Amino acid sequence: MAQERFADVVERFTRGDLNGATSVASEVVKQWQDEFDRNVKRVRNLTDMVLNPTNPKVGQTPREEVYKRNKSRLYRYASRRSHRTPLLFVPNLGISRPYIFDLLPGGSFIEHMTREGFDFFLLDWGVFGPEDNDLSVEECVSKILPRMARKVLEVSGASELSVLGYCMGAPISASFVATHPEYPVRNFINMAGPIDFARVGIFGLWLDKRFFNVDRFVDTLGTVPADMVKAGFKLLKPTMDLSTHLNLWWNLWNDKYVEGFNALNRWANEYVAFPGEFFRQWVRDFYQDNKLYRGELVCGGRPVRLSNIACPVFVVGAKEDYIAPPDCVRALIDVVGSHDKQYVELPGGHISLIAGRGAAIHCWPQVSGWLAPRS
Amino acid sequence: MTETSPSQQMFEIWKRQLEEGAKSWAQLMTKGATPAPPDPAGFWWKPMFEQGLAQWARIFAQTPVTPELTSQWKQFLDQSIEAWSKALSQAMSTESFAQMMGKTLDQWLVSQAPAKRLADQSVEAALQAFNLPSRTQVAGVAKQIIELEERLDRLEDTMAAMGRRLEEALRPPSAGGSAR
Repeated sequence: MAQERFADVVERFTRGDLNGATSVASEVVKQWQDEFDRNVKRVRNLTDMVLNPTNPKVGQTPREEVYKRNKSRLYRYASRRSHRTPLLFVPNLGISRPYIFDLLPGGSFIEHMTREGFDFFLLDWGVFGPEDNDLSVEECVSKILPRMARKVLEVSGASELSVLGYCMGAPISASFVATHPEYPVRNFINMAGPIDFARVGIFGLWLDKRFFNVDRFVDTLGTVPADMVKAGFKLLKPTMDLSTHLNLWWNLWNDKYVEGFNALNRWANEYVAFPGEFFRQWVRDFYQDNKLYRGELVCGGRPVRLSNIACPVFVVGAKEDYIAPPDCVRALIDVVGSHDKQYVELPGGHISLIAGRGAAIHCWPQVSGWLAPRS
Repeated sequence: MTETSPSQQMFEIWKRQLEEGAKSWAQLMTKGATPAPPDPAGFWWKPMFEQGLAQWARIFAQTPVTPELTSQWKQFLDQSIEAWSKALSQAMSTESFAQMMGKTLDQWLVSQAPAKRLADQSVEAALQAFNLPSRTQVAGVAKQIIELEERLDRLEDTMAAMGRRLEEALRPPSAGGSAR
């Protein structure tokens, strides 16, 4: 049966001849009515966003600050604590703020983990200033992380802890676990954390020592400004803003979508500066020389050998991650000395792996499911 | 499928007009002048644009005019953006792009360094003249506070270790294994 043309429908409708076409015509009219309603809501929400911009409430899961050191803060989240082993979450240093992991009620990784009964501790590295230019990767691995781990054990009263590193936090926390066997780390999880920087993709190419002089960069600028960090990440996907705004217009009628967009948009435009020395060491030792994977990295006088990690290890890669591609993340499985180790590759990108609707379905249950019997 | 919808026909007319218009304009521009160099963009833009339009026309022809058309238009835009993204990604994943970006950054830094140094020195001198603290001085004070915090932390650790040793020393010897 050939599809009825619009012109024919209109003609019959205006002629009053509705025999056999009533249902089709009324269905089309209803669709147009719905579309009209949606457009009205779009205009209303857009006007609201422009004329009454609000600062969305993020990071609403109850927590208390249990320790601070310079700009770093250690937060403990409210939880029924049904698992004996506390979990220390180590996110990326600089780049962005960690409230992405606790964006909105119902859309928060931290909320999920606390609901599953984990004693959840978050290390917030903080927002850096020129006084922090001397902060290095070495200091993070050999001073800050051991202190944070000690505080987690003290505050929780536990004898062991699990460590979860996300993005840059994963290689840094893996280095800590590998060089500090005196700290009782029961489990280690790597989520989207690059390990083998030879397979890190486009960032690795741009930061290659043939093309990028990190010493001149840091010596000239000192702190790497937040705007420059933002520009670098935006350049990875130049059309991202265009598709974001197109999807926003398309879904502008949906109040829930607008709420989520406002929260995510706030995070996506709030970048954090990099301390100069940290950036120098991060680029040179990790991106350019790939010292971590090669076993050549030394932190605090201790050689970093990932093979020293013997606890259970869970590695989560994201299929469409262009910042830490799956191969780069999965490499941890090949080098750790653990017997109990597992790799999963989940749908999503670098951020959507851990934040968003898809993460709640694909990722969070897998992480909590793996960790629960080992805690 | 021989029957074409009115919208498809209108689209075909518009497309033909656009092509003829472009041809006439091109002829006008090249009339009497030296032949223009081949436009590399023409090898890429025109076919891409035509393909996009043809695809949209196919979608348009296959469906009746309902609000779903707007969904299809959105799909077309999504696909166009995705195509652009892929093309840009491919271009930026090349060594020549990385080299160009590195050179541009280097040149900017080389020109920036003396200007920044000069600006910093001038600001420093001006603030000193007004007896106001500069950013370097404030950062210096902050660094001292950070060092003080570090010393306090070390002191705390030492005292905690001493406390543990004292506890162990004062604990009466037990028959069983010691609990940690």
